[in-house]
Amino acid sequence: MSHSELGDAGTGVTNSSPVPAVQLSGIAKRFGAVVACDNVDLALARGRIHGLLGENGAGKSTLMKMLIGLVLPDAGTIAIDGKTESIHDPLTASALGIGMVHQHFSLVDALAVWENVTLGDAGRLDPNATRNRIGEISEQYGLVIDPDKRVGDLTAGLRQRVEIIKCLRRDPSIVIFDEPTSVLTPEESEQLFESLRHVVAAENRAVVLVSHKLDEVLHATDDITIMRQGRVVDQRYSTDADAPTLARAMVGREVSLRSERAALGIHSLDDTDLDDVEPVEPDTVLPATAQPVLRIDRAVAHDADGVVALDEFSLEMHSGEIVGVAGVEGNGQRALGDVLSSLLTLSSGTVAVDGAVVPTGKSGAMAEAGIGVIPEDRHDSGLVLDMTVAENLVLVDQSRAATRGLIDQRRLHAFTEEMIEQFNISCGGPTAPMWSVSGGNQQRVVLARELSQEPKILVAAQPTRGLDVGAIEYMSHRLETAAASGVAVLLISSELEEILELSHRIIVMHSGRIVGEMSRAEANFETLGLLMGGAAA
Amino acid sequence: MTDATTAVDAVGSPDAQPGRTRRGARLSEWSALYAMSIFAALVLSAILVEATGGDWRPVVSALLDGSVRRPGRWGETLATAAPLLVVALGTVISSKAGLVNIGQEGQLYVGAAVGAYFGFLIGGPGPINVVLILIIGAAGGGLWAGVAAGLRYWRGVPEVLSTLLLVTVGGQAVAYSLRWEWLLLAPEGRRGNRNQVSEQLATDNRLPRPDFFGNEFPLTVFISVVLAVIVAFALSRTVWGFRLRMLGRNPRAAQRSGVSETRYGAMALMLGGAFAGLAGAAMLTGGGFAFGNYQMVPGFSANIGWTGLLVALVAYEKPLAAIPVAVVFAGLRTGSSFVGSTGVEGRITDVISGLLVLALLIPAAVMLLRDRRRARAAATERV
Repeated sequence: MSHSELGDAGTGVTNSSPVPAVQLSGIAKRFGAVVACDNVDLALARGRIHGLLGENGAGKSTLMKMLIGLVLPDAGTIAIDGKTESIHDPLTASALGIGMVHQHFSLVDALAVWENVTLGDAGRLDPNATRNRIGEISEQYGLVIDPDKRVGDLTAGLRQRVEIIKCLRRDPSIVIFDEPTSVLTPEESEQLFESLRHVVAAENRAVVLVSHKLDEVLHATDDITIMRQGRVVDQRYSTDADAPTLARAMVGREVSLRSERAALGIHSLDDTDLDDVEPVEPDTVLPATAQPVLRIDRAVAHDADGVVALDEFSLEMHSGEIVGVAGVEGNGQRALGDVLSSLLTLSSGTVAVDGAVVPTGKSGAMAEAGIGVIPEDRHDSGLVLDMTVAENLVLVDQSRAATRGLIDQRRLHAFTEEMIEQFNISCGGPTAPMWSVSGGNQQRVVLARELSQEPKILVAAQPTRGLDVGAIEYMSHRLETAAASGVAVLLISSELEEILELSHRIIVMHSGRIVGEMSRAEANFETLGLLMGGAAA
Repeated sequence: MTDATTAVDAVGSPDAQPGRTRRGARLSEWSALYAMSIFAALVLSAILVEATGGDWRPVVSALLDGSVRRPGRWGETLATAAPLLVVALGTVISSKAGLVNIGQEGQLYVGAAVGAYFGFLIGGPGPINVVLILIIGAAGGGLWAGVAAGLRYWRGVPEVLSTLLLVTVGGQAVAYSLRWEWLLLAPEGRRGNRNQVSEQLATDNRLPRPDFFGNEFPLTVFISVVLAVIVAFALSRTVWGFRLRMLGRNPRAAQRSGVSETRYGAMALMLGGAFAGLAGAAMLTGGGFAFGNYQMVPGFSANIGWTGLLVALVAYEKPLAAIPVAVVFAGLRTGSSFVGSTGVEGRITDVISGLLVLALLIPAAVMLLRDRRRARAAATERV
């Protein structure tokens, strides 16, 4: 592929190449009331790796999706090698030499590696040519793989290798990696970055590394752009950056000197010496009981892909406290919620409620032991959309509406009316199908059901996601009230503000482990930001 | 506004909520769809008959003669509808739990054979033995489906495949047992000139066949209607039915709520098989024109399993709606047996009844797809 090298000064932080490979100017995108990208300028230079850093929802992915034609910008221009282009679909992007390695695999388990690599091609299949091409790429980039292996039999790291080969096979001049290490072990990540360096240095490609991990952005990139709430808040050379500055820019808080020092202190934390740093009373509601109501002991769990989701995770909770679980999504929070919903079986370790071990993965066991759950995705395990509001309110426990195995419609309706009033659920009545109810009210149905069961422990995973301001306030208030009445609340959230507002104690998860624990008083955005980015490890 | 409708009825009809107007609109939508597709099927059939050199008018007349008009025929139609309904009820139970059981034909055949075997073996006093045969037939069909359930919950084999393939296995197993006297084959001298036939049930081992205005049909007709009411009630009003529906609609929510997929799923699949087996035993003990001579013969199941599955589909998984649908399908069957006398070729009548079955299925399929799309749209819109 040849690209004209018109001499003109490039913009952005890098000037190593006269015309940037990609120049995004004034890009804006809204989804309804949400501004995903707001007047974003970004230049990508050839021969350099550009880190795009930001929290979940900062607009990184949307920006990249516009570059590969999955999302159309509302405003702004995209110039490739100095020429303004309109990228309205992925085919155009591909023709322009832009390729993306997606965060979520788009592979077919039942097919062989070479078959997956050819997916999306038109015309006749040429197995041998494809195998040879895979061999070439493998050699060139050190991405060794057997083209005849079934993808379903590969580890997550190898699968990602397939994704990368799939992308490189088309010889893109601009490559986007979207959170490539979220499923990789540290060694695999290391390998990946090595081959990345190679791609860039030897072939003068432009590479974007989308990430929320401070460490890897610092080590693997040349330039860094930090996004927050749809805006570019900082751009700098990696050599000029350090973890605390990046953390601050990423979470967007002024940080005092004191907390900065605290942050450095936290640096030495890892879960082996957690016990020494154990809580801290100040404004914490101190447990009245000696025995923890929930005790998770060295839990290890794997997700569906066989990736370790919880890695020797241990946690104790007492009645009446709100424990916030901070962390970038995809670091084991979902597995934690699933284990406490009886949806995931532990590979080792135990979960005990009030001192009694509860079998994991046994249907209904956790609910019966007194663990209520507001799941991360209420449509996944929280509601049955095809059933009515009334039925959804007794999904977990039918006993309050049943006598001798028969559902008593009168009692069911009475209970439903009571809940509708108590929790202000706006719906078309008890018999309205669940899918006809709005998202915020669906969430209230979940909340009403779980609280009405008087749980000992309430797991609230991303409880305010997608809710409007009023609904968020309502949810927060409910969680606080629950804690005040003696429920142990485990608040899993990727919204730091929510965690800092509600929690008495905060733990930070990274790669399935607890990498930090502190009381509310000790916590601040920067410390949390650093820990979440895995900088402490 | 909504207290007249029950909470549970809304499951199959997601539009139940906003009261009468929507419901009325939906009803007319349904009627229009049925009218259109049946009309289209009739026109196509008429064209087909004319094109092959026949006349469509006598064909329609023969259909009516065979299903209701001639003396004794509506009794025959009801007698055929009963096992169809029983099979359909079992299918409804399985599919409410989210399972696709398509092996009713085999479950019915095996159930009937097992019932017959033990019926002859025990040979107790008449009425007691009839009840025993029915119960054992149901158990046989249930266990046959239990093979599929075991494969699914222990080894992860999809029940769609296993139930279907077990139809063939069951057919061969029964055929085998009809070759050996120690199994089902009638002793020499009592099987006439046929060599794969069981003994006939003794006269007191048969279900009574009351006579109404010259139409006689076995007691199974009443039994099947009672069963339909029981199933409808169990699914909509009991905790068991509630949990079964939960499993079918959202297995993960069910898992969290203590509905074990293995236990409830296996139970639903085996119940589906048990109903098919019961239908088989009822055909055996009920006899009549439709189902031969109170004895096992090769091909005894006579497509009742397959047709029962269709009845469940057309009835949109509603037990009570399955009653009229079963009667319609039975009428098609009894009616088309008369069409041959019009001189139209047998294959053409097969195509015609196929077209009519399709016509009955299409509205349900259209509505199902549309409801799904609506539900999905609503779900994504309102996250």
